[in-house]
Amino acid sequence: MLPISYFLIVSAIVFCIGVYGVMTLRSGIMIMMCVELMINSANVNLVAFSSHFGQMNGQVFALFCIALAAAEAAIGFAILMSIFRSNKNINIDNLNILRW
Amino acid sequence: MVNDVTNIAYLIVALPVLAFVLTLAFGKKLPSGGGYIPILAIALSCIISVMAFLQIRETGMPIEISSHWFAVLNVGIFIDPLASVMLLMVSFVSLLIHIYAIGYMAHDPAKPRYFAETALFTAAMLGVVLADNILQFFVAWELVGLCSYLLIGFWNHKPTAAAAGKKAFLTTRVGDVLFMAGIVILFFNMREHVLPHLSGQEDVYLLQFKTIFEHLGMIPSEQLTLITLLFFGGAVGKSGQFPLHVWLPDAMEGPTTVSALIHAATMVTAGVYLVARTFPMFIAAPDSLMVVAYVGGFTALFASTMGLVMNDIKRVLAFSTISQLGYMMLGLGMGAVIGAEAVGFAMFHLINHAFFKACLFLCAGSVIHSTGTNDLREMGGLFSKMKITGITMLFASLALAGIGIPFLKILGTPIGTSGFVSKDAIIVEGTYVFAHLSHNWIPFAFGIIAALLTAIYTFRLWFMAFTGKPRQERHPHESPFTMTGVLSVLAIFAMVFGMLTFLPFLEFVGHTYDHEEIHHLAGLGEYDIIDHHELHHIVGEANPIIFLLPVVVGVGGLLLAWVIYNRRWISVASIGNWKNPIFAVIARRYYQHEIFIELIALKFTYGVLALTAEFIDRRIVDGIIDAISDFFVAGADIVKKVQTGVVQNYATATVAGVALLGLILSFLSITGVI
Repeated sequence: MLPISYFLIVSAIVFCIGVYGVMTLRSGIMIMMCVELMINSANVNLVAFSSHFGQMNGQVFALFCIALAAAEAAIGFAILMSIFRSNKNINIDNLNILRW
Repeated sequence: MVNDVTNIAYLIVALPVLAFVLTLAFGKKLPSGGGYIPILAIALSCIISVMAFLQIRETGMPIEISSHWFAVLNVGIFIDPLASVMLLMVSFVSLLIHIYAIGYMAHDPAKPRYFAETALFTAAMLGVVLADNILQFFVAWELVGLCSYLLIGFWNHKPTAAAAGKKAFLTTRVGDVLFMAGIVILFFNMREHVLPHLSGQEDVYLLQFKTIFEHLGMIPSEQLTLITLLFFGGAVGKSGQFPLHVWLPDAMEGPTTVSALIHAATMVTAGVYLVARTFPMFIAAPDSLMVVAYVGGFTALFASTMGLVMNDIKRVLAFSTISQLGYMMLGLGMGAVIGAEAVGFAMFHLINHAFFKACLFLCAGSVIHSTGTNDLREMGGLFSKMKITGITMLFASLALAGIGIPFLKILGTPIGTSGFVSKDAIIVEGTYVFAHLSHNWIPFAFGIIAALLTAIYTFRLWFMAFTGKPRQERHPHESPFTMTGVLSVLAIFAMVFGMLTFLPFLEFVGHTYDHEEIHHLAGLGEYDIIDHHELHHIVGEANPIIFLLPVVVGVGGLLLAWVIYNRRWISVASIGNWKNPIFAVIARRYYQHEIFIELIALKFTYGVLALTAEFIDRRIVDGIIDAISDFFVAGADIVKKVQTGVVQNYATATVAGVALLGLILSFLSITGVI
C-alpha cells in the first residue's frame, strides 16, 4: 500500500496547476478546466484519506463533489456562451466593466 | 365687585388681538376697511382699563393673575397704579387715533391692512404694559417693534418708506439685543443667588417682577448695575435716546396716524415704561440711574437743537418727541436722589406728552392732508383756512413749550398747560433738587436749555405753518369731523389734563412702589435718597428764580420764534444759511449720517468686521474643510485603482492572501505561539 503522502503530493501538484491556470490563462474555457482540476485534486485527497482511515465518508463526499462539479460546469459554460454572444470571444481579460 | 376686573383683565389684550384677526380676514368686505372693529375692540379695552383703574384706586391692591408656563417661568397679568395709568393712556390715545384714521386713511386702498396692524400694535403695547414678568414683557416688546416696522413701511411702494422701516427695525434691534442679554444675565443671577432660598416654595417664578424686586438684595450689586444698564440699552433703542435715536425721524415715512400713535404717544414710551417698571432694580443700582439721567438730559438737548432746523413738519415733531423722551429719562434718572417720586414725575410727563404730542401729530396730519405737502416752507397762512386745526395745534404747542403761570397754585396745583405742569415737576423737583443736594447743575442746565429750544422750534413750526402769507398756491380746507373732533378732544386734554390731575396722579402713581422698600433698596447702592417731606422742604426754600426760569425760557422761546418767523424782524436767511457753521452742523444733523452710515456702517462694520469675518469664514474655516475633503478625494482616486474589474486579479489577490495567512499560521505554530 502506498503511503498517504504520495497521494497528497500528487493532489497538491494538481491543485497548484489549477490555481496557476485560473490566475494566468485568458480563455474562459481553460479557466473552467483549471477550476475542475482544483476540485478533482480535492477529490483525490478525500478518497485517499477515506481509504487511509478505512471509512466510507470521504468517498461518498467525493461523489457529491463530482456531481457538484458537473453542475458548476453546466452553469459556467452557459455563462461563457452568453459572454461569447455579446463579445464574440471568451477572453476574460476584456471583461473589466465592473472596475472603478 | 373686587374680582370683577381681575377675571376680565385679559380681555384688555385679547379684544384688540381679536380685532386684528377679524380685520385682517374680513376687512375688505366691510365698510371703511373694517376700521370700526378695532375701534369697538379698543373702546372696550379702554372701558375695562377704566374699570381696572377704579378698582385699584378703590382697593389699593394691584390686580394680579399668574399661571404656570414651564419650569420656573409663568405668564400673568399685573396691573398696579403705574400699569393702570399706562393702560388708560395707551387705550385712550389709540382709540382716538383709530377714530381719526377713519377720516385720514379714507382714500387709502390698503385700509384693512392698516387697521389690522394698528390693532395688533395696540394689543402688543397693552401686552407690554400688562406683563407681570420680564420675559412676557420682552415678547410683547418685540411684537411692538414688529408692528412699528410694518407700519413705518406701510406705503411699501415708496423706497424711502421701506428703507425707513428697515432702519427702525435694525436700530431698535441693537437695543433689543442688549435688553435680551440683560434678561439672560438676570435669569442666571436669579438662579444662582435667589433660587436656593426659594426651594420648597410653590409657584417660584424667577422672572416675575414681584419675585425679582423682593430678592434684589441677594443679587451682587455690580451684576445689578450691568443688568440695569443692559435694560436701559433696550430702552435707549425703543425710546430713541442718543445714540440710537436715528431711526425715529425716518420713521415719519409712515402714515401720520402711525407717527402719532406709535412714534409719539405709545411705542416710544415703552422704553420709559421699562425703566419705570424695573425702577426698584435701577434704584438698587444708582450708577445706572445716573447714566439714565445723563443720557436722557443730553438727548433732550441734542434732539431739540435739530428740531430747530428741520423743514419737514413731521420731522420737527419727531425730534421734539426724542427730546421729550429725554426729559422723561432725565426725570427717572433723578430717582437717584428723590426716590420713587421720580417715577410719578416721569410718568406724568409721559402721559401729558402722549396727549399733546398725539395732538400735534394729528394736527400736522390734518395740515398735510389738506395741503398735500410736508414742507413747512411751502405752508403759511393756513390759519384762516383751517381754524380748528390751527387752534388745537396752538394749544398743543403751548403745552409742549410748557407755558404756564409760575408761583400761582390753587389747592396745591400749578396753573398752566399740561406740559408746563409736568416738565416743571421734572426740572424743579427733579433736577433742581438733585443740583441742590449734589451741587451738580448739569442735569438742570440740560433741562432748562432744552426747554428754551423746545419753545423756539415749536412756535417756529406754528408760525411758519399758520401765519404769514401762503407761500404756495394750494387750496387748503378744513378736515372732516372725525379728524377735527379728535383734535379738539386731545387739545383740551393737552391744556387741562395736567392741572386737573397733578396731585391725584402723583399720589396714585407715586404709590406704585412702596417708599420704605425703595429707601431700603437705595441703601443697597449706598446712596441716600430723600423722602417726600424733605423734597417739599427743599422745593419750598428754593430761590424763586428756579421756578421762574422754565417759564421764562418757554415764553422767551415763544417770543423769539415770533420775532423771527412771524414778524421777521430778524431775517431767517441771516441765521439759517450754510455759511453759519453752527447752522451747518445742526442742519446736517451733526453729521450723524456720515458717522453712522459712512463711518460705522460702511467703513467699520462692513469694511473691517464683515470683510474680516468673510475672510475667516471663506478662507480659514471653509479652507480647512475643503482641504480635508480634497485630501480624501485625492486618496480615493489613488486607492480606487485596485478595483480593476478583472476577475483574475481578484483571484490572485485571494490566493495571495490565503497563502500569506497560511504562512503566518505555520510560522506561528512552528515558533509555538499557538
